[in-house]
Amino acid sequence: MKIIVPIKQILDPSGVTVRRDKERIFINKEAYILEAGSKAAIEAALQVRDVDGGEHEIVAVSLGEPRADDALREALAMGCDEAYLLTDEAFQDADISVTTAVLAAAIEKLGGADLVIAGQASADTGSGQVGARLAEALGYACVTAVYELAQEAGGLQATRRWGTGYARVQVSLPAVVTVAPEAFPPRYAHGARIMDAYRKWEVTIWDASDLELGTGALQPLLSFRRESFPAPLEVGEKFQGDPAEVARDVVTALRIQNLIA
Amino acid sequence: MDFRLSEDQLMFKKMFADFCTKEIRPRGEHIDQAEEPPVELLQKAVDQGFWAALVPEELEGCGLDTYTYMLMLEELGRADLSTALILSVHNSLVVKPLLEHGTEEQREKYLEALAFGEMLGAFALTEAGAGSDAAALSMEAQRNGEGYVLNGTKIWVTNGAQAGLILVFARAPEGITAFLVEAETPGLTVGYREKTLGLRGAACNTLYFEQVAVPVGNRLGEEGQGLKIALQALDLSRLGMAALALGAAERSLEEAVKFSMEHIQFSVPIAQKQIIQNYIADAKAQIEALRCLVTHTAWLADTGQEFSQEASITKLFGARAATQVADRMLQVHGGYGYMKEYAIERYYRDCRALEIAEGTNQIQQFLIAKDIYQAEGLDIRP
Amino acid sequence: MDFSFPKEYQLFRRMVREFVENEVKPLAMVIDREHRVPHETIKKAAALGLMGVPFPAKYGGMGGGEMGYCILMEELGKVDSSTGTVIGAHIGIGAMAIYLDGTEEQKQKFLVPLAQGTAIAAFGLTEAQAGSDAAAIKTTAVRDGDDFVLNGAKVFITNGDIADIITVMAVTDPALGAYGGITAFIVETDSPGFSIGSLENKMGIRGSSTAECVFQDVRVPKENVLGQFGAGFLTFMKTLDIGRASLGAATLGGAEAAMEASIQWARAREQFGVPIATKQSVHFMIADMAVEIEALRSLIYRTAWLIDTGQPHILEASACKLFGSEVAHRCIDRAMQIHGALGYSRDHFIELGWRDQRISEIYEGTNEIQRIVIAANLFRPYGLRIPT
Ligand SMILES: Cc1cc2nc3c(=O)[nH]c(=O)nc-3n(C[C@H](O)[C@H](O)[C@H](O)COP(=O)(O)OP(=O)(O)OC[C@H]3O[C@@H](n4cnc5c(N)ncnc54)[C@H](O)[C@@H]3O)c2cc1C
Ligand SMILES: Cc1cc2nc3c(=O)[nH]c(=O)nc-3n(C[C@H](O)[C@H](O)[C@H](O)COP(=O)(O)OP(=O)(O)OC[C@H]3O[C@@H](n4cnc5c(N)ncnc54)[C@H](O)[C@@H]3O)c2cc1C
Repeated sequence: MKIIVPIKQILDPSGVTVRRDKERIFINKEAYILEAGSKAAIEAALQVRDVDGGEHEIVAVSLGEPRADDALREALAMGCDEAYLLTDEAFQDADISVTTAVLAAAIEKLGGADLVIAGQASADTGSGQVGARLAEALGYACVTAVYELAQEAGGLQATRRWGTGYARVQVSLPAVVTVAPEAFPPRYAHGARIMDAYRKWEVTIWDASDLELGTGALQPLLSFRRESFPAPLEVGEKFQGDPAEVARDVVTALRIQNLIA
Repeated sequence: MDFRLSEDQLMFKKMFADFCTKEIRPRGEHIDQAEEPPVELLQKAVDQGFWAALVPEELEGCGLDTYTYMLMLEELGRADLSTALILSVHNSLVVKPLLEHGTEEQREKYLEALAFGEMLGAFALTEAGAGSDAAALSMEAQRNGEGYVLNGTKIWVTNGAQAGLILVFARAPEGITAFLVEAETPGLTVGYREKTLGLRGAACNTLYFEQVAVPVGNRLGEEGQGLKIALQALDLSRLGMAALALGAAERSLEEAVKFSMEHIQFSVPIAQKQIIQNYIADAKAQIEALRCLVTHTAWLADTGQEFSQEASITKLFGARAATQVADRMLQVHGGYGYMKEYAIERYYRDCRALEIAEGTNQIQQFLIAKDIYQAEGLDIRP
Repeated sequence: MDFSFPKEYQLFRRMVREFVENEVKPLAMVIDREHRVPHETIKKAAALGLMGVPFPAKYGGMGGGEMGYCILMEELGKVDSSTGTVIGAHIGIGAMAIYLDGTEEQKQKFLVPLAQGTAIAAFGLTEAQAGSDAAAIKTTAVRDGDDFVLNGAKVFITNGDIADIITVMAVTDPALGAYGGITAFIVETDSPGFSIGSLENKMGIRGSSTAECVFQDVRVPKENVLGQFGAGFLTFMKTLDIGRASLGAATLGGAEAAMEASIQWARAREQFGVPIATKQSVHFMIADMAVEIEALRSLIYRTAWLIDTGQPHILEASACKLFGSEVAHRCIDRAMQIHGALGYSRDHFIELGWRDQRISEIYEGTNEIQRIVIAANLFRPYGLRIPT
C-alpha cells in the first residue's frame, strides 16, 4: 500500500505569547516545528505498517517555505520512506483551495495513493478542511476525525467521532483519512534515523512548474483584509452552595448542554 | 580581656561534652536514618540539665549565662545537629521568651514542665505566605470573652508534633501577639511532617488551628507585642544557631583530619598533600573566627549590651562557615564522603539548613545593613 | 566560526528533550525514594538508540559522536542525574574503553550489544586502596593456558550489579608498575567467580547502583585482553579523558535546570508584597548562574568538537568536569537558597538535585585530580613534571 501523509510546519507556539489585553501577539522565540496533528498522521501511517509489517510505502509531502525541509526530515526520522517539499514563491499566499490544489497535484504526480492520512486540523490556522477537500479533488473516499484505523479486506475500518460517541465505519480505497491527534501520540524518532535524515536521505523539492500548476489553480479565493482577536469567551456559570446540591446542578447543566449522557 | 573559661563554665562544658560524646554522638547515624526525634535520648538529657539550661538556679535550673549556653549548643552541634536543633528551639525560642516576658503565673505553670522533661517547646511563626516576611502572617486571634480564638495554619514548626507547649504568633485586634498554646488544646491538630534534606531527626510539622480557644492568661506579653517578642527570641536563637554551626564545623574538621591521616593514596596519607592541608587549615581558620564571633556576641548579651546586629552577623558568618567547611571536609573524604556510613555525609546535609532557617542569609544581610544605615539616619527596606 | 548546532543535532536534542521530559523526569524522585535503577527507562532509551549515541553505526551505535553524546547527557542532567549516571557509566566509560582500544572482533562481540542497549557496561577501576591513585590497584590477572585468572575486588563500581560486561584493570606484572604492568580486560559478569559484594547507601544518585565487584579466580580468555598487553592503564586514562567532557555536559544540564526552576519560583513567590525576583539578592544570584552556564556551555561543546575532530583535548575535557561540577554546585546551591525551606524539602526536586550534584565533584577523578591533570599539562612542555 502507498500511504501519503501531507504534513505542515508551524511556528512553535511555545515561543509565542498572546496578549489579549494589548491585542497583540508577541513572538519571543521564532522556531518552527512539525505540527502535532501532522505528527499524529505520520504515527497513524506508521501504525498501519507496524500492524502487518507489510511493504507499505509511506511518503510525506509538505507545502511550505524552504525551511519546511526540517519538518520533512523529521518525518523521515520518524519512519517515512520518502519526502517531498512543495515550495514556490507562487505558493506564498496559498489559501485552502490553493493548498488543496497543490497537494492534489503532488499526489497525482506521485501516481496517486491508496491512502492519504492527514491531521484533523492544523494547530495554527485550524480550518479542518484540507482532508475533505483533498478527497474531493482526488475523487477518493473520506473519513474525518478518526480515532482507530485498521485494514480489512477491500478497504479500511475506521472509528470516528460521532456526536457524543463513536461510530465504526468502513471505507473503500483509495481514501483520505484525517486523524484525531490525541488518538495517535507520536513515537520518538530513533536516534540513528535522525542522523540519517540529514546525512543520508534526501528531500525532493517540487515547484509550481514541476507540478504543472498554472496561474489559475494558484489564484486564492480568499483575500486578506485584517486580523483581530475573537470576542472573549463568556464567563461560565457559577454554582455555589451545598456541595451535594452543587454537584447535582452541575450534572443537570451539563446534560442540558448535551455534554454528558 | 580574659578568654579563659571560669571554673563553672569549665564544669558545665565538661558535663555537656561527656553526655554529648557518650550518649548522643554514637546515635547520630541512627537518628538520621530513623528520621524520628530521639525521644529517649532527649529524656535522658533532662537529667543533665539540657532542658533547663536557661532556667535560673532558684528554680533548680542550670542558670547558664549566654556564653555557657553557647558552649552547650556547640557540644550538641558537634554530637548531632538534629538533637541540637530540637534543644535549641526549646531553650532559645520557648523557655527564654517565657522567662523574659512571662507573668508570674505563666512561669509557675510552665517552667517546671519545660525544664524537667514534661513539655518540649516549639515556636510557630512561619506560614505559607509568611517566611522571610514574618510580619505578613495571617493567623487570626479573635478576642472572645475571657480569651482568644486562634484560626490559621503554621508550617515548618520544629518540634511541632512532639511539643507540649507551643509559642504561637497570631494577629489580634491590636497587632501581632504571642500565645502559649498547650498541645492538647482542642482544635489544634498536627499535620504534614516535612521530609527534609538533613536534620532528619528534628521533625518539622504543619500545625492546624481551628477555633483554638486560648485563655487570656496564656497571652505572652501584651497584645501587639508579638513581633517584638519573636525578634528578641530570634536574636538569642540566631546566636545559638551559630554555636551549632561552630560545633558542626568542628566535627566536620575532626572527621576529615582523622580520615586524611588514615587514608593512603600515592603511598602516603592524603594528609601529606598540600591541598588537603590547605582545606584543613582554611576550615580551622573559619572555625576560630566563628568562635571569636560567638564568644564576643555572647559576651555582649551577658553584659546586658545590645547584640542584635552581632547575632545576625554571627549567624550569617556561622551558617556559611559551617556549610563551606562541611563541603570541603566532604571533599577530603573523596568517594567515601558520599556514603551514609560517614558522618560527614550527614553533616553536609544538616548544615545546609542553617543558611535558611531562622532567617535566611539574605535576611541576615538585610538586618545588618539596616542597622548600619539606621545609625546614620537612613531607613532601608528589605 | 559557526556556533550553531548542525540540524541533525537540533532535531536530536528535541527528541531527547521530549523523551526525558516524558519518560525520565516523572521517575526521578521515585527511583531516589525507592533506591532502585530505572530499568524500564533504560529499555526505552535503548529502543531509541540512546545507549550507543557516540558510537558509529557499524558498531550498533547512533553515530552521534561526542557532540550527540553531550547533548544526551545535558538533557538527562536537566531532569535526573541517576539515570544520567547509569547511562553515562555505560556509554562514557564502560563501552567507551572497548570502542577506543578494542579489536574489531571485540567491538563486534561486545560493543554492538552495548551500543544497542541489549547489554549494559560498567567500568572497573577503583579499589579500596586505589581511588585517585589508580595505579595502586591490587587486583591481579595471572596467565593460565589460554586464560587469565583474575583475583581482587573493585569498589564503587557504577552499574556493577546490573552490568553484563565490565572492563577491568588488573596487575599483570607488579614489577613493571602502571606503564607495562597493568592490563585491561573485558569481563563478562556471568563468568564463574564474579560476584557482587556490598551495594553502597549514598547521599544522592540513588537511582544508580554503586557496587563492590569481587573477582575470585575469574577466568577470562586471552581474546578479552583490551588494548595492548601491559597498556591497560593508558586505555583507562584515555577513556576517562573523554568521559570527562560528557560528565561536564551532565552538570551543564543540572545547572540549567536549577536556573530555570529559580526563575520560575522567584517570579511566583511573593514576600514583602512583591515577587522575590525583584530583590537584588535574588536576581543577582540568577544572573550569576546565567553567566556561568553560558561559559560552561561554550566550553563543553567546544571540547566535544575537539574530540569529534580528533584534536588534543585532555586539558579541556578535564576543565569540563572541573568547571562544570563547580558551576552546577553553585547553581543548585543558589537555587536551594532561592527556594527557602521549600528547597530543603524532599518534596521538591531542588533538594534531589542538590544531593545528586555533589557526586560530580568526586567521581571520574576528584576535582583535585583534575587540577593536577590540568597543571601537569601546562608544565609538561617545559619539561617540568608535576607529581601527584
Ligand atoms: C529545618 C527548618 C526548620 C524550621 N523551623 C522553624 C520553626 O521551628 N518555626 C518556624 O516558625 N519556622 C521554621 N522554619 C521556617 C524558616 O524560618 C523559614 O523557612 C525562613 O524564614 C525562610 O522562609 P521561606 O522558607 O518562606 O523562604 P522565603 O521567605 O520565601 O525566601 C525565599 C528566598 O527569597 C529570599 N528573600 C525573601 N525576601 C527577601 C528580601 N526582601 N530581600 C532579599 N531576599 C529575600 C530569601 O532569602 C530566600 O532566598 C524552619 C525551616 C527549616 C528549613
Ligand atoms: C557514586 C560513585 C560512583 C563511582 N563509580 C565508579 C565507577 O563506575 N568505576 C570506577 O572505577 N570508580 C567509580 N567510582 C570511584 C571514584 O572514581 C573515586 O571515588 C574517586 O576517584 C576518588 O577516589 P577515592 O574515593 O578513593 O578518594 P581518594 O582518592 O582517597 O581521595 C580522597 C581525597 O584526597 C584527595 N587526593 C587524592 N590524591 C591526591 C593528591 N595526589 N593530591 C591532592 N589531593 C589528593 C582527593 O581529591 C580527595 O579529596 C565511583 C565513586 C562514587 C562515589
